[in-house]
Amino acid sequence: MNPTSGLRARLAEAHRDQRVVDAVHLATWRKVEARADAMAGLRHYAALRDRAAQIRQHTLDHLPQYLEQFVERATALGATVHFAANADAACATVCDIAVSRGLKLAVKSKSMTTEEVHLNDALLAAGVRVVETDLGEFIVQIDRDRPSHIITPIIHKDRRQVARAMARELGCPYTEDPAEMTRIARQHLRDIFRRCDLGITGANFAVAETGTLCLVTNEGNGRMTVTRPRVHVALVGIEKIIPRLIDLPVILKLLARSSTGQPLGAYTTLITGPRREGDVDGPEELHIVLLDNGRSRILSGPFREVLRCVRCGACLNACPVYRNVGGHAYNSVYPGPIGSVLSPLLYGRPAEELPRASSLCGLCYQVCPVKIDIPRLLVQLRTATRARQPRGKRLLMRAWAWAMDRPWLYRLAQRLMRRLLPDDGTGWINRDNHLFRRPLRAWTAQRDLLRPPPQSFRELWKGGLGDER
Amino acid sequence: MSAESHPAPARPGAAALSPLRDFLQRLRRETYRAGPHVPLPASPTHLLREVAPAENLVSRFQTSAAMVGCRVHRVRRDEWLATVRGILRERSARTVLVEPHAETALTAERAAQLSEALEAEGVATSAQCVDESLFAADASVTGVISALAETGTLVCVSSAASARGASLIPPVHIALVSSSQLVADLFDFFERLGAWAELPANVNLITGPSKTADIEGVLVTGVHGPGEVHIVLTAD
Ligand code: SF4
Repeated sequence: MNPTSGLRARLAEAHRDQRVVDAVHLATWRKVEARADAMAGLRHYAALRDRAAQIRQHTLDHLPQYLEQFVERATALGATVHFAANADAACATVCDIAVSRGLKLAVKSKSMTTEEVHLNDALLAAGVRVVETDLGEFIVQIDRDRPSHIITPIIHKDRRQVARAMARELGCPYTEDPAEMTRIARQHLRDIFRRCDLGITGANFAVAETGTLCLVTNEGNGRMTVTRPRVHVALVGIEKIIPRLIDLPVILKLLARSSTGQPLGAYTTLITGPRREGDVDGPEELHIVLLDNGRSRILSGPFREVLRCVRCGACLNACPVYRNVGGHAYNSVYPGPIGSVLSPLLYGRPAEELPRASSLCGLCYQVCPVKIDIPRLLVQLRTATRARQPRGKRLLMRAWAWAMDRPWLYRLAQRLMRRLLPDDGTGWINRDNHLFRRPLRAWTAQRDLLRPPPQSFRELWKGGLGDER
Repeated sequence: MSAESHPAPARPGAAALSPLRDFLQRLRRETYRAGPHVPLPASPTHLLREVAPAENLVSRFQTSAAMVGCRVHRVRRDEWLATVRGILRERSARTVLVEPHAETALTAERAAQLSEALEAEGVATSAQCVDESLFAADASVTGVISALAETGTLVCVSSAASARGASLIPPVHIALVSSSQLVADLFDFFERLGAWAELPANVNLITGPSKTADIEGVLVTGVHGPGEVHIVLTAD
């Protein structure tokens, strides 16, 4: 299937259920406001953001040495560090750890890397039962759905859909009360936490200086996952490194504010090696699987800065495209603006149309706590796949670029268009014109025809607009 | 620094490391030109902090902790016991976990005092933080190693005396904090942590009760961790 038609079909699908569209709109809008309020309350927002970007970029620019330092420290503390070049290797490594130790019941804390490599399917095939324990991910799992947001996986579901899934799959009494549904999930998962023997997490950060993993969660399932099971496996992207412990607070001050408007996540957990001798509880074994899966390729190219991402989700909430089509339309583990950059870099051809599904409004850059210039990267990605665009479109774009380079031609075209498109809609070109039945219909089907004003901005300016201060 | 200058330590994990070493070498060769390492410029921490060390930390902590959903009980030094008992009585707690830790405000002596008082009321107490006693407890009482004025955060660590599960598994967590344990800013805390000779295996920064807004954005507390966090704050 042509990837473009895939995207079109998904976009059409995204608008089928108005309730879902409204739910996503409302939920993202709330988060946009919560983020803005939280940042406004921060004394040195701009300076923190600069510093966070600097720390992340510096780390990426010197990654091998920091990775090496991290591995050395973590190993010295008793963790076992593995390397997985790709998704298959990551799954094989984790399955091997589970199978060779006879582990049967795995609990998972929400993690993007494990979704990226489809770890659940692999574990299931290896005979290990995996239970998602983040409430949203748990509902996704029992309802056999897919997450649509990197922070709020069921942003596309309303309470009735959740209630139906829970009653059907857990056999509990039907209720639409979120507090009651949460209580039922807690009860169900407590039993799992009592019996589990393998805990699987990602990591928000990995501190090179101390060999520490940092995990930020709100529900407490992440803490349960690194407390109860005998073995803890963390699947960590190689880009998650932070040089020193003192660099963490810079990013922590921004992360939760950016995500949900909280000053800090409810739980920030620092994990330094497995349980110590004499400790009351905690996993006996800690395995850290460092995942490449395309990241080293991104590091070596012009898109390195995208790996600064701390997965806060702010760019998703802010994006007018995401807010209108939801996460599923991106057909990727990483939706939204960050997904439109990351997915083509990770998955190539099937995702290469995503950078074009953007109006380049720039909000994603404005909210990004590590200052990733997503709009610029989107344009660069478009350029990179230009050769595969339809011939007609390429010619049109080339002509457009040529014309836009010549001010006289631009002025001439402006004047001409005003003749052809008078603002009362009666001109030579109008919506009923045959031109818009055939070749230009795709454009006008969902947009109004341009109605140029009687005077252009340039003319207004010349006429004295610039003098009125 | 080079990969060769660090021979793989003789431990079970060593075998797993060789693909990683190959990868790092390749990454260096293909992507990173070997040049002098430019260190990350020092952190301009003084320009980034939220809370000045000179600020009134007690009132700042009280405000921030309340903002993130903790219930703060600011009491005199000799009132802590009555306050804790009051909270437990109000919740009709039948079994309570009391976890003393020498470096916190809940010393062995205070823990014994509390347990005795509770037992006298017919409340079962336990200092055993393993498995069933943890899941059966109606509440836990612990100390903290530090508390952050900036964010209203409590810090608990794992050790031979303190379980990871103690501040996590029972539905109500009561933390004893003395004002001398307050640090101003997140930066101050991490600076102190960096000075520890060895980090504990598990350090938890607890900022409010366990919460979710996964279902239609409705805030619900007590998902997997405690739904109620009480802070009994005493001055000294
Ligand atoms: S790109 Fe920036 S805003 Fe988007 S998720 Fe990553 S860190 Fe957050």
